[in-house]
Amino acid sequence: MTTGEARRLGQAEHADGLAARNQRIAAGEPIAVRIRRGGPDGAAELQDFAVPYQKWMRVLDALNWIAENRASDLAYRWFCGSKMCGTCAVRMNGREVLACWEAVEPAMTIEPLRNLPVIRDLVVDRGPFDRKVAELEPWIERSEPYTGFPEPLSHKQMKHASKALDCIGCMCCYSACPVIGLGDLTDFAGPAPLVQLGQTALDPRNDPGKVGRSLARTGIFNCVSCYKCEEVCPAAIPIVSQVIEPLKARAASLVPAMARHSLALRAVVAERGRVDPSALLLRVQGLRALVNVRRALRLLLRRKIDPIKTFLTRRTPAAAAARRWLGGP
Amino acid sequence: MKFAYYPGCSARSTCAELNEAMHEVAARLGLDLTQLDSATCTGARELRAIDPAGFHTLNVRILALAEREGLPLMTVCNTCTLNLLDAHAAFSDDPALADEINGRLAGEGLHYSGRTRISHFLWVLYEDIGVERLRSMVVRPLNGLSVAAFYGCHITRPPMRYGFVDSRNNVALERLAEILGCRPIDYSGRTECCGFHTAAHDERVAIKLTGQHIKSAKHNGAAAMVTPCPLCHTVLDGFQREIERDMGETLDMPVLHLPQLVGLALGLAPSVLRLDRHMASTDAIATLIAP
Repeated sequence: MTTGEARRLGQAEHADGLAARNQRIAAGEPIAVRIRRGGPDGAAELQDFAVPYQKWMRVLDALNWIAENRASDLAYRWFCGSKMCGTCAVRMNGREVLACWEAVEPAMTIEPLRNLPVIRDLVVDRGPFDRKVAELEPWIERSEPYTGFPEPLSHKQMKHASKALDCIGCMCCYSACPVIGLGDLTDFAGPAPLVQLGQTALDPRNDPGKVGRSLARTGIFNCVSCYKCEEVCPAAIPIVSQVIEPLKARAASLVPAMARHSLALRAVVAERGRVDPSALLLRVQGLRALVNVRRALRLLLRRKIDPIKTFLTRRTPAAAAARRWLGGP
Repeated sequence: MKFAYYPGCSARSTCAELNEAMHEVAARLGLDLTQLDSATCTGARELRAIDPAGFHTLNVRILALAEREGLPLMTVCNTCTLNLLDAHAAFSDDPALADEINGRLAGEGLHYSGRTRISHFLWVLYEDIGVERLRSMVVRPLNGLSVAAFYGCHITRPPMRYGFVDSRNNVALERLAEILGCRPIDYSGRTECCGFHTAAHDERVAIKLTGQHIKSAKHNGAAAMVTPCPLCHTVLDGFQREIERDMGETLDMPVLHLPQLVGLALGLAPSVLRLDRHMASTDAIATLIAP
C-alpha cells in the first residue's frame, strides 16, 4: 500500500465520491425512497416509494416525482434548484445534503434536518436560527470614517470573511453539529450562526468593541472541533479552520475571559513544553478542579495523574523551545 | 524500519500506558523508534486557533526535527496527526509563511524543507508493515472478541485533508480488527466526536456525547472498544464512571488503545501492554484471550 492510501481506506469500496455515486444505478431501475412524514407534534411515520431512476437524477428530482405522482401533499422546500438559495437541505441516509445537488442513492431514507423544529414532513422552522443570528448583530459598525470607494482592503485582510461569505444559509452544518444536538446544555451558537457572524466580525473594518460584544454571546469555545460542519457544507466552507478558529482568535484578544481554557493551554505549553493535564485543569478550573477528590484518587491509583510532575516543573529541552516560540512566564 | 516517534502529551501523561504499549508493539513489529526529546506539544486545538504563528512554528519545528534525523514521523494521536498535517500543508502552500517559519527555526539551527512524511501508527500498519506481513505475525488471533472501532474525528475529518465525502465510510480500523481475528461490530458512534476538546472547561458535553457512543457500541454487542486516539480514550475510559452516573446505567466497557489490540494479537501479555492502567476494567478481555 502506498503512502496516503491507508488514510483513505473505504473511499473506493463505498463509492465515496460524486462520480462513483452517479454510476451506482442504471436508467429505469427503481429507487427505494423512504420519507419521514409527520407534523410538529413528533408523531411521524416512514412512508415508502419506488421511484424510476433517470440519468443524473438528484434527490430533489426524486422528491418532485413523488409529489407529482404519488403524494401530492408531501411538504418539502426548494426554490433555485442550483445550490444557491439554501432552502432544500434534508438528511439523506443520515447525512445532511442539498436535495438539488445530491445524486440519488439506490436506497435512501430522507428526513428533515435535525436541531430545528419540524413544521411538516421535510420542512423545518428556521426561526430559531434567524433569531440567533439577529442576536449576534451580524453587521459592520465602523470605528474609522468611510474613506470612499475603493476602500484599501487586501485579499489577505478579507481571507476569512470571504470564506464565510460563501454561506448559502442551508442549515446543513447546524443539523450536523453534535453540540447543538445537546440542546440547551451549552450556550454554543452553532456553526451556521457563527459563519453568518464571521462575514462581518472577520471584516477588518468592523469596530473591535462591537465585534467583542457579538462574540461574547456566541459560546464559541464550546465548539468541539469535530469538523462535522465542514464535512456537510455544500459550499465547501472550511468552517472550523477558516471561520470558527479566526473568530476564536478574535475572542481571545477582545474577550479574554471567554478564552480561559485556550489561554491556559498556551501558558502551560509555554511553561512546560507539553501539556500536563492536571496543571491545565488547575489553571482552567481553579479550586473547582479539586472538588472531585474521589475521582482524583481513582486517577492516582492508576497512575493517570502525577502530582510530583504537576507541581515540580522540570526544565526540559521541549520547555525551552516552547518558551522561545510562545513567550514564557 | 526506522521512524521518528512523536507520542504527544497525552501518551506521556494521562495515557502513559499507550506509550509503553507502543514501544512493546514496535519492538515486536520490527519498528525502530527514535523519540524526539525536544519535541513540544502540537498545540491541541487551542493554540492553532488563538496563536497561528506559535502553532505553525511548534509543528514545523517537530517536522524539522524528524527531517534532521532523516526519518518519517510516526504519531499515535489523532489531533497531533492533524495538527502536523495541517502545519505541513500550510508550510507547503505558502512560500512566504515557509520562509517566515524557517527564519524563526534558524535561531535554533533548524531548517525544514518539507520532506517529512507524517504517518499515524494505524497507517504505518498498512503502508509500512503491510497487511500480509501483519497477518503472518498474528500468533494469537483474537477470535471471539467483538470490538467496536471508535475512530475519533481528526483521523477521518476534515474532508479537505482526508478526502471522505462521508467519513462514516472509513473502514481502516474494522479491517485491521479482522486481520487480528476480531469481529468488528457496526454502531452509530464509529466516527462521531468524543467531546474531549472542550472537556477542560466543561465536561458535560463529552459525557453526554460519549455516553451515547458507548451505549450504542454495547447494545450492538461490543465486548470492547478500540481507538487510535488517546484523547478519545481519555473520555471513553477515563470519564466512564461519570458517564455511567449521568446515564444511570452500568457500561463496564473496556477501551483499548490501538497498539494494545495489535499487541494482544501479536502474543504480548495484557500486563506488558499495561491493560491494568485503564479506569474501566479490562479483565474480561484478558479472560477471553487466555489460552
